[in-house]
Amino acid sequence: MQLGNDEVREAAMEARLVLTDLELERAVKFINNFLSMLDRFKELDLKDVESFRFAEPARCPLREDEVLPFPNVEEMLAESEHRSGALIRVPRIMGE
Amino acid sequence: MTEEKLTFMPVIGIEIHIQLKTNSKIFCSCSTDCESAAPNTNICPVCMGLPGALPFLNRQVVQQGMLAGMALNGTLRSSTLFFRKSYFYPDLPKGFQTSQCDLPIMENGWIEVQDSEGNPKKIRIHHLHLEEDVGRLQHSTVDGRLEGADTSFVDYNRSGLALAEIVSEPDVASAREAVEFVTNLRRRVRYSGASDVDLEKGMMRFDANVSLKCSDGRRGDKVEVKNMNSFRALERAIDYEIARQTKILSQGESVLQETRHWNDARGVTTGSRTKEFYRKFIVEPDLPPLVVDSEWEARVRAMLPEMPEEKMARYIRDLALSEDAAAILTDSREVAEYFEACVAAGGAPVRTANWVLTDVLRCVNEGCSISAFPVSPKVLADLVTRIEEERFSTTQARAVFDHIVETGSSLAEAVKLCGVTEGGFTGSDLAEKVRGVLEANPDVLEEILSGKDTKGKKVKFLQGLVMKETRGSAKMPDVEVAVALALEVAKGNSGGSSGS
Amino acid sequence: MQLYELTVQETVQGVRSKKFSASEVFEASMAQAVACESRLSALITLTVEKGREQACAIDAKIARGEDPGPLAGVPVVLKDNICTRGVRTTAASTVLGHWSPPYDATVWGLLQDAGALLLGKGNMDEFAMGNTCGSSSFGYTANPWDLTRVPGGSSGGSAAATAAGYAPFALGTDTGGSIRQPASFCGIHGMKPTYGAVSRYGVIAYGSSLDQVGPFARTIEDLALVMQVLARHDFRDSTSVAGKGLDFSLAPAALKGKRVALVKDFEGFSLAGPIQEAKKRVLAVLKEEGAEIVEVELPTVARYAVACYYAIALSEASTNLGRYDGVRLGYTTGSSTDVREMFEEVRSQGFGFEVKSRIIAGTCLTDSSRSEEYYIAATKVRALIAREFEQAFKKADFILQPVTPELPAKIGDAHEDAIKGYESDLYTLPVNLAGLPGLTFYVGHSENGLPVGLQLLGPRWSDAELLSAGLVLEGYLGKPRIATGGVSE
Repeated sequence: MQLGNDEVREAAMEARLVLTDLELERAVKFINNFLSMLDRFKELDLKDVESFRFAEPARCPLREDEVLPFPNVEEMLAESEHRSGALIRVPRIMGE
Repeated sequence: MTEEKLTFMPVIGIEIHIQLKTNSKIFCSCSTDCESAAPNTNICPVCMGLPGALPFLNRQVVQQGMLAGMALNGTLRSSTLFFRKSYFYPDLPKGFQTSQCDLPIMENGWIEVQDSEGNPKKIRIHHLHLEEDVGRLQHSTVDGRLEGADTSFVDYNRSGLALAEIVSEPDVASAREAVEFVTNLRRRVRYSGASDVDLEKGMMRFDANVSLKCSDGRRGDKVEVKNMNSFRALERAIDYEIARQTKILSQGESVLQETRHWNDARGVTTGSRTKEFYRKFIVEPDLPPLVVDSEWEARVRAMLPEMPEEKMARYIRDLALSEDAAAILTDSREVAEYFEACVAAGGAPVRTANWVLTDVLRCVNEGCSISAFPVSPKVLADLVTRIEEERFSTTQARAVFDHIVETGSSLAEAVKLCGVTEGGFTGSDLAEKVRGVLEANPDVLEEILSGKDTKGKKVKFLQGLVMKETRGSAKMPDVEVAVALALEVAKGNSGGSSGS
Repeated sequence: MQLYELTVQETVQGVRSKKFSASEVFEASMAQAVACESRLSALITLTVEKGREQACAIDAKIARGEDPGPLAGVPVVLKDNICTRGVRTTAASTVLGHWSPPYDATVWGLLQDAGALLLGKGNMDEFAMGNTCGSSSFGYTANPWDLTRVPGGSSGGSAAATAAGYAPFALGTDTGGSIRQPASFCGIHGMKPTYGAVSRYGVIAYGSSLDQVGPFARTIEDLALVMQVLARHDFRDSTSVAGKGLDFSLAPAALKGKRVALVKDFEGFSLAGPIQEAKKRVLAVLKEEGAEIVEVELPTVARYAVACYYAIALSEASTNLGRYDGVRLGYTTGSSTDVREMFEEVRSQGFGFEVKSRIIAGTCLTDSSRSEEYYIAATKVRALIAREFEQAFKKADFILQPVTPELPAKIGDAHEDAIKGYESDLYTLPVNLAGLPGLTFYVGHSENGLPVGLQLLGPRWSDAELLSAGLVLEGYLGKPRIATGGVSE
């Protein structure tokens, strides 16, 4: 499969990335080379192959339902450039 | 003219988000208490999506999901996975929501409702899956709505709360059925203990997929209506959407497949300007498979209480309650359990039911908690038994009941303070009271004895005073006899004295 | 001998026996780092205050007669994708701005408890995406053996710092070779542990199912000492495996009677002369030690591993990097009028091109319209690869293979075609796909003075056995020396 400029730009927008024309050109070339490499998968019969997801552990460990407050909340919030008192302020949300 | 003959059949599927009841969040140990906590205090690297942070699944979330799934009559999957569902929004810290979306913990459930003819109908539930909630947005507009807000504020306390998303099959045929479906579903989930499903606290939210089947064979595209937070909003939104789509199809036009938002204030749905998400899913590599073995499932199944419908049938069958009484008693698990505890303590079922339905529920509606109700089931059973055995009048029992509700005192204390006497005032006790009343009212006595009370009004007056003195705990015939006797004595006395 | 030249083991012994203090060690290390930094640029942040504070604390503990821990007084460089509370952590990206994490990565917590001293945060490819250190938004790191050459990547800063004697050990992360390749390029040892052996909590994710933290050091015993501290179950990382209790006390004569395999399918691939020489030398040592040389076949690995690896790494990366939106931390533009614009500005300006192109590629692969063909297919190919290794390890105890096809390239000689660069990871990335441990051990130097290393792989949880084997080889081949390229003579 090969992708055109518009498809790559659309994927970029989906990832909230705006590319310059030069970046787009490079990205399209890269992605198409990359997809060509992945086209090798078609040589394999993968129909009955089970996906590899986790080598171990076989089951997700579970935590007991206990409250343990994080001690450095203030330090964490101080890292936001958008902090407004106790809240985080963001500009207008368009759509939806 | 042919247009008038067209009929439309709504095809509705409901999606419900329910906040599961746990102490800590789904993937971290932050408190779930959003009510009393100041904004952005119950947060940590995990629920803030900080670089490097990893999820750690809460056992109780899984268990609550299992309970809810069982309450919806579904089948549990023994092994499931979490996925990353990617999108961007300021209330979503990681840029993806961690959700079981494609491999849910429960499938193939159902909830029974009544169709338009009153016949039972099963609304099938496709699945229930576990996922995390997002942060809460507050908008700068006066009414707090997003529209027109030029800035918004994020509180991440809600981020990472455990949610169950329940997706029905498109089996719902009307707004009324939808409301009955979610009402019955809510009741069963609340019974299971999986969630408090408090609508006012946003613990239950609805989306609806609405489309219409036209009698001419046309089939409208599916419209997803989002943002309903109450039964009423769900009902109105569906009715609005049916009407909107009916109008479009009647005009021979086609319904656009889209996501619309319910605007509760304006009572309309509005089209969304954003296009559909790129559907981007991968397996959550940070969470190995969630395994629910049969032993765990059996343990949780044993925790599942009798469900409201079964309870109601049993009340009617075994306790001879009316259908209405049984329905009201079983609406809430706590009330039903209170009632059952009263019966278990010896309260006669029908009379106990009446007491719970009137006196207990009145207090509960006035804000009294049933779980810490001041009149314990044992006491109520005791009161009911005393009435049954005619040791207390209903009036006496109610006085005692009210006193306990008000003061939280013990039964014995309340009986004493209300001045009620077991079995009422009779014999010498009553004669004593009558004597007291006659002595306190010599002028009335004089009138009667002088024969002026031809219509017996003064005698009635004295009887009333005696009744008042006994605080209603004497029986009227006893009072009549006692007063007559006392008058006889008084007459004898006065005749004797005047004669001497 | 200068204090900075000591190994981990020697440093700990000296500090614990009060031959010298932790503070003296730290000052010596810092002086060496300062002397080399202008040429090497191995560090993004030099943590003078933090390290001094820790050194004083260790000295105080020793003065009080308390146990200062198994790594007492040892300076360490951490790759800058390992969260250090209160110390800027950047992943070499503009998008993180001056982020100061409010928490420590588990591995850093373990090292602190063991008495290690933070010297600095190592340069790296941005978000660990690269194998040259060239995609760092803080600029290149130079190879301490030849300043005109790359140190490898992505953990190039940690490797260069260890090689140049900033610290006796460093931590890196290895997603597809990011420890083993720079270790080889910088002439030191580097260990990629079994996936699940070391906690990833607090390590900025690239490809979560592939990432693993591991050490660089100049002796095999030092690697073992550090691994003994790091290889612990961590409940905060659900993929960390409990109950393994790895014991890193190394066994002598670990190669006697062991079957060491060469991969048949790699035989035809081009390999730089000095690497071929190194291989011959190691094979001779193996024979002398009584190991049996066998051959295994890894045809699926040889043909599909690179494609499979990048499909999975980029799919996971595109989701891992969704959180960088400027709202809660890091870089922000500040002037955006709406949220979408803000996200776009932050991400477009905050990420470098290599990262952006990988995010976009990952986004393409995982979209539901293409997921089956690429992402899902890759997870299935991964299963075939893991199975192939499992079969191979029935016939062999270890696999010996090159780390890279070439010696370190000249800085700026980047591959015009990024995919060609990806293909040079062929020897390292299959290990991550199968979750195996891998050890890069120093073999020697080429005629033109560039170091050469080779890789020894083992089945899952053979980490300690690999190090034991490495110790035997080190006995023949010699220990890595401190590189002098960074200091003016």
